[in-house]
Amino acid sequence: MQRFPCPFCGLRDETEFHYGGEAGNDRPEPAAEVSDQGWAEYLHIETNPKGRSREIWVHMTCGEFFLLERDTVTHEVFASESLRRAAP
Amino acid sequence: MRDFAQKWTAFPEWSEAELLRDGWRARVVPGLSQTLVSGALDKAWAQLGPEGAEVGLWQIASPETPYRVRIARDRALLVSPEAMAFDPGWHADGWAATVADNSYAVLELEGSETRNVVSEATTADLDAGSPSAATLFAGLQSVLLYRTAEARVRLHVESGYLPYLWRWLETRPE
Repeated sequence: MQRFPCPFCGLRDETEFHYGGEAGNDRPEPAAEVSDQGWAEYLHIETNPKGRSREIWVHMTCGEFFLLERDTVTHEVFASESLRRAAP
Repeated sequence: MRDFAQKWTAFPEWSEAELLRDGWRARVVPGLSQTLVSGALDKAWAQLGPEGAEVGLWQIASPETPYRVRIARDRALLVSPEAMAFDPGWHADGWAATVADNSYAVLELEGSETRNVVSEATTADLDAGSPSAATLFAGLQSVLLYRTAEARVRLHVESGYLPYLWRWLETRPE
């Protein structure tokens, strides 16, 4: 069992979180010009690194989306950072 | 014709429902005013007035006066024993207020064994606390968990899940 740091709530059990994908896997644009191969790579192909990784997670109970840096082998968590932008 | 009523969990008359167990008891708290406030909370509080203290996970609120239960970075539930006068809807300076009196059911657990009951339902570290009172509770997302006295807990649960949570408490092995 792991505990992840929500940038707002603090440490919570992993069961309160949901994995959102690898950080940096940006949606290809413009959508109308993206090939089937491009969509397949965006949707299904992950680098799945062994070791240090950067991932998007969401804390389901408060709705905070954040960037989590962790080691997929040792489960060590290095940082978590909110993805919210400051209000204009 | 099929009787779909049989699919739903039977539940008691909430105004009279009470669970009495060794060291703890539970009841539904009726009639609280609940207002969901979203967006720029600092601006919302400036307009809604200084409505009591803010509570997070396992923190203690004063139930005789209005208080704010923090849910998320930009969301809180304003709770009051009396009806509150406010202008619902979107406000131009970046916040919204929504009447939520019937959106959440409020359960109160009290007694020396209350903490043990709560500890079975959530993995949150109660002693460490948290700015947000929202937690996974008995498998339900975003139940609001705080106290109104040392051994008295309030849970705000989406109303539709109240029969499930009541049954969870009712059938919990002693």
